[in-house]
Amino acid sequence: MSIEIKNINKSFESKKTDKLSVLEDINLTINDGELICLLGPSGCGKTTLLRLIAGLDQPTSGEIIANGEKVVKPSGDRAVIFQQYSLFPWLTVLQNVTFGLEMTKNVPKEENIAAAERYLTSVGLIDFKDSYPHELSGGMKQRVAIIRSLLNHSPILLMDEPFSALDMQNRHKLQEQLIGVWKRFENTIVFVTHDVDEAVFLADKIVILDKNPGRIAEIIEVNIERIRKRDSPEFIALQESIVEKLDMGD
Amino acid sequence: MFDNYRNKFIPLILPICLIIFWYLITEGLGIVNPYILPGPITVCQSAWELIMNGKLLTNTLDTLYKVFGGLILASIVAIPLGILLGWYKTLEDIASLVISVLRPIPPVAWIPFSILWFGIGMVPAVFIIFMGCVFPILVYTIDGVKRTDKVLIESAQTLGASDWNVLKRVILPSAVPYIVSGLKVGIGIALMCTISAEMVGSSSGLGYMILTATSLFDPGTTVVGMLDIGIIGIAFDYVFTKAQDRIFW
Repeated sequence: MSIEIKNINKSFESKKTDKLSVLEDINLTINDGELICLLGPSGCGKTTLLRLIAGLDQPTSGEIIANGEKVVKPSGDRAVIFQQYSLFPWLTVLQNVTFGLEMTKNVPKEENIAAAERYLTSVGLIDFKDSYPHELSGGMKQRVAIIRSLLNHSPILLMDEPFSALDMQNRHKLQEQLIGVWKRFENTIVFVTHDVDEAVFLADKIVILDKNPGRIAEIIEVNIERIRKRDSPEFIALQESIVEKLDMGD
Repeated sequence: MFDNYRNKFIPLILPICLIIFWYLITEGLGIVNPYILPGPITVCQSAWELIMNGKLLTNTLDTLYKVFGGLILASIVAIPLGILLGWYKTLEDIASLVISVLRPIPPVAWIPFSILWFGIGMVPAVFIIFMGCVFPILVYTIDGVKRTDKVLIESAQTLGASDWNVLKRVILPSAVPYIVSGLKVGIGIALMCTISAEMVGSSSGLGYMILTATSLFDPGTTVVGMLDIGIIGIAFDYVFTKAQDRIFW
């Protein structure tokens, strides 16, 4: 499913300052099955842009078209994986994962559970299917959140720094699993991050945002073969050139 | 293991000392006149009598019926209303002034009207209990709904949940611990209201038993009634604390 972002402006009004412009003139086309990273310093509006695509907030002007339809409210077609942990604490892992299926589809319950168990097995969480979220580690929670969206067959995954709270080892592992999942399900993914390494590892295209106000500074296509090696010369070169660009922006 | 044994024993030290002190100043040394404060032996005799003739059980059950009647009615009104007011800001704004004015009125202040409207017996008592616990349950429910984590609501929406499903599957379960706290507060108030109501507009129940015993110069029965209320209070507290342990994640 493709996403077209047309002339988006977003500003917040507050009593103290006059008008805070967060996003200005954002134009971007995200093709079906593409993995895009929105990269930028904190305060550049990358999370705001993601929330606009999700339909959780509305732009001040401009419009976003997802699969030919204007985005006006949240939908099961565009799942969001939040930075904060977002599992329902009163449901078990299995119940969390099937939540979306019960909302939208009319598939019999047993089939949902069978599918959920298959997915949980594939990420090594099947032994935790009857556990509650508070019994899981941070990395496990985010894996369950991703499975919950995948199982719902959301063609678009919107991810807001989902791995930022994890240690490096876990982060790298989940990044690899995400690439595996994306190759298999061919979702369109918009991934927000402030971590250059993460963006270079994941993205087809890196969209660098400036801050004050948030604008698209540059779009970089990444043509390195996957799974990418962090110690390869091309990886390091690209990473360094992006870091330099970000430094200049500050 | 020894620590465990000691922890269970410690809470008993003070009550045992109090009972010994009570015995000494009344029946032991006769410092206090038995009509001012009956001794523990008199109280035990009264308790035995009341258990044997069934009065204690009848009056306790009578009081409990009223407590539950009032509490259930209050829950039926306060929980759905609280969810509504917690969810729709405008409705809360409309209702807030009325709630703020009615809430601080002590439930016993409704006694004159309750007698005027409902006469004497079960109904006025239930009405007073209702007035006493409807507001705590309402306020806790509103609070619980408002405290629902925004990220959970948004997750449900992006998983395709309709507004109704968000309410039923996210907001309601997330408010349950707060609603239980409200019920716990409500039941404490209900117990207090019941006794006061029974002392004024009733012909049965523990409050009635306490009041009539006092006027019949039977202080033993009065103390038995008071202790019975205390024990009911502990029992409810225990049940609700257990329930909360299971619900809070």
